[in-house]
Amino acid sequence: MKEITLTIDGQPVRVDGGASVLEAAKALGIEVPSICSHPDLPAYGACRMCVVEIEGVRGFPTACTTPAADGMVVRTESETLRRLRENTLELMMSGHPNACLVCDYRAVCEKHKPTPSKAGTSTRCGLCGNRSECDLREIVLATPGRNLGLPTIYSHKKVERDDPFIERDHNLCILCGLCWRICDKIHGQPAISIVRRGKEARIAASFDRSWVDSGCTFCGACVDICPTGTISDRFAKWHGHPDNKILSTCMLCPEGCSFYEMTENNQVVATRMTGFAAEDRLCALGRFAYPQLLQDRDRINRPLLRESGELIPVSQEEAVDALGAALDGFRDGSFLFLGNDTELRETKHLYRSLATDVLKGKYHFMAAGSGAADLPETIAEKIENGTIRAVLSAGDLLPAELRERLAFLGVIDAFPSALSASADVVLPASILAETTGTFRDAAGTVKGVGPALPAPAHARPEWHWVRDLAQRLGADDWRRYRYAPDVTRTIGDDPAPAPLRTRPRDSVKDALPARFRGHLLADRVPALRAFGLPFTPPEATATEKRGFLIRRKEEIAPNFHSFLVEAPEIARYARPGQFIMVMAAETSERVPFTLTDWDPENGTILFIIEETGRSSRELCALRAGERIAHVSGPLGAPLDLTGANTVALAGGCYGIGAIYPFAKALHKAGKRVFVVLEASSHFLIYFEDELREFCEAIYFTTRDGSMGRRGAVHDVLVELLQSDDKRPDAMAAIGCTLMMQMATEATRPWSDVPLHVALNPIMIDGTGMCGACRVSVGGETSFACVDGPFFDGHEVDWAELASRRGAFVQVEVEAMPQNGTLAAHACRH
Amino acid sequence: MIEVSLARPADRVHDVCRRYAPDRENLIPALQEVQETEGFLSPEAVDAVAGYFRLSPNNVYGVATFYAQFRYRPPGRHCLKICQGTACHVQGSGVLLDAAQRTLGIRSGETTVDGDFGLEELACLGSCALAPAVVLDGVVHARQTPKKLNTLLEKARS
Repeated sequence: MKEITLTIDGQPVRVDGGASVLEAAKALGIEVPSICSHPDLPAYGACRMCVVEIEGVRGFPTACTTPAADGMVVRTESETLRRLRENTLELMMSGHPNACLVCDYRAVCEKHKPTPSKAGTSTRCGLCGNRSECDLREIVLATPGRNLGLPTIYSHKKVERDDPFIERDHNLCILCGLCWRICDKIHGQPAISIVRRGKEARIAASFDRSWVDSGCTFCGACVDICPTGTISDRFAKWHGHPDNKILSTCMLCPEGCSFYEMTENNQVVATRMTGFAAEDRLCALGRFAYPQLLQDRDRINRPLLRESGELIPVSQEEAVDALGAALDGFRDGSFLFLGNDTELRETKHLYRSLATDVLKGKYHFMAAGSGAADLPETIAEKIENGTIRAVLSAGDLLPAELRERLAFLGVIDAFPSALSASADVVLPASILAETTGTFRDAAGTVKGVGPALPAPAHARPEWHWVRDLAQRLGADDWRRYRYAPDVTRTIGDDPAPAPLRTRPRDSVKDALPARFRGHLLADRVPALRAFGLPFTPPEATATEKRGFLIRRKEEIAPNFHSFLVEAPEIARYARPGQFIMVMAAETSERVPFTLTDWDPENGTILFIIEETGRSSRELCALRAGERIAHVSGPLGAPLDLTGANTVALAGGCYGIGAIYPFAKALHKAGKRVFVVLEASSHFLIYFEDELREFCEAIYFTTRDGSMGRRGAVHDVLVELLQSDDKRPDAMAAIGCTLMMQMATEATRPWSDVPLHVALNPIMIDGTGMCGACRVSVGGETSFACVDGPFFDGHEVDWAELASRRGAFVQVEVEAMPQNGTLAAHACRH
Repeated sequence: MIEVSLARPADRVHDVCRRYAPDRENLIPALQEVQETEGFLSPEAVDAVAGYFRLSPNNVYGVATFYAQFRYRPPGRHCLKICQGTACHVQGSGVLLDAAQRTLGIRSGETTVDGDFGLEELACLGSCALAPAVVLDGVVHARQTPKKLNTLLEKARS
């Protein structure tokens, strides 16, 4: 195309005719801010951030939609443009929770808590799984002044968690349209669109269908392109920004799609298409199930050997030795190897050689997606009639009734099964990303796999096991197979695996292989059940009505759920400052929650749960009328503040509910009470009316200044301490560790006025037995559960508390539920 | 006399669409005509329109929901439209709308369970001199009050 010359910010630039002004600027290295533009998509002009001035052109055209013209003179920076962009950003951010971006304590908060909290709803960056890769956040932080004066309008839309793998939080959406546009580009017929208009507009499928029925193939392009965290990958969401990506090949079906394995700490947390084009598509398995298979919690990770009827863990050498010794006795053609057709070529090659050359037996590779029931008749017959007496199975590939006919069974596998439980030897296998080598796809093309990532514990790539086994059986020359390429060289022209009927990436319906290594994929990755993949039905559990009845439950602010629960004994003995330990189900974690209120007459207690991780999500998924398995309490030492005459009570987040009993008790005792509340934004304040009833004055502080004073509780506490008529002689602060620490530091000059803080270390039993809640107060060790939870803040070792609280950050992320909600019902209260 | 069509909805919709060239610019006129013949845009109708225009149903639904004129549920046997224009607003059309919603037990845009009444809001009827005005089955009724409106609805029902 003909080249043209134009001038941008005084610099001449030559570009191809047809380029946009934005592209021309980019060619010069001039960064014009933009959100809705993408190199893989045509211009859209939705975000209006890339406005420029062009000589002779009226108004402020968007650079992305304006074609560059010969002789054009463009300015990308001016006072007017700066103001326009700021206004645009301000409008955009008024509908996107942004308190963290204008918060004065952002830096210290992020240092204090390096990973975002795993909240149910992202009401600010500190609770957003997209924080480390958010384009919007980057643009705002890069804007000098960050003048986001418009109040945040939070639209209180429920997070959509009903679909497999993908969740959507429309409260974060800025309607840039990138998701449906990339869907349109890749698939031709987009599975989503912007529906309705005005403030009702949002991304959805027609008639709000589930994406499973909307033509979506779960390629994940919308998740990858979303600049805001609106559309997110439930599994990868809380893992933060991947630290590495590996170009590899998916081996879950014969298609062998190329993809990137996105890794963090050498673990695959997601996979991604290699580009945003039709030929780069991935299916739901490759894009979403793959990382979950690798991180399956039930992986076989130790070699097992049957001794006196039991499978016991042994060393790798012992296992190979025992397997070799056993197979040595089946060199008369009675050995069969059962493997998988979609496997590394190296693995298949060595299995083939082991079976035929070393053991003079047979081998059979099962087609992708098949299981034990698909074993060919001819093989089944040979096992029936005793021609085959020993089998080595690389998966759950043999029916139970045939197992009984065998004299020996070895299993090499990654996941446990009834078959491996009945084996004589079990070897743990590295799978997929944990291996390296080459893969031949159904079209015959050879693709690279790896480099290999660490496998769990003692798992090894299958060809390593086979090589050592062959050596044990006397094939000394197998020593030469040190690395994968040593095997690759000897393979020659191996057959391609048989293709599937329908390509999984073309459709999620009736196309995904049901099994991997003979195991039902939907058993390992339950989200796949949404696509109709078969799974083993769970055993019926007794539905006995036991536990504590939830009388009432409501979400009183985003992520904050109040529970009114029948617990007469707790209601009878509770005192202000005490807490309870709650278990959602018999097998759930024990979690402490501060008591907000109790009614001995009605036998009920009230407490507030902030949804911020696995266990709290499990509790928040319960509904009124359902039961909580265990509620124990009241625990902890009560705190009596009525000795003071004037008390300031400060509460933030869950602490707003936690200061309530003090306000009530103090008011009853005729004391003066000042309540100070803190939240990042106005829409997170709750319990305002309830507290007002028991206090002389209530002060609000918000990080974005959208309600009351812009700042934190300590600003008001200091003011009260300095005043003549409102000076408290005792204070209490309940909230996050940082809030309590900041209140402590700010009030240190008045350390004659005690500041009672409720410490919230990790707690397990809550009765002083385990010691997990150890804290240092005044140079001495205390246990928050029995000595506390209240301590004088001025004596607390805050640094130690913060580090002990962060001990299980990684485990907490891995424990996040992958089924939308843990409970049987969808989380649309 | 109730008209009964034995044709499948998808076929009927397809017959309507065939009067238009399958180009995107004809999408809205086609949707309008489909709504006229079908009474509303059902998921099947949207799928059929999308098929004809070689678009994704999600796209078609996105386009349709941008406009206030399309319905996605069957309309009532009687259609009550309450003007919410400036003049009517000043004359208390808000109270009228509240009353209608209470009487019928539905919100605007919905149809009563028995299928008798559908309720809609209008931006401006252009009959400002008659404010507050309502339209029942195509007939304009002037200077309404909740009481008058109730009588009107009762009459229509019997």
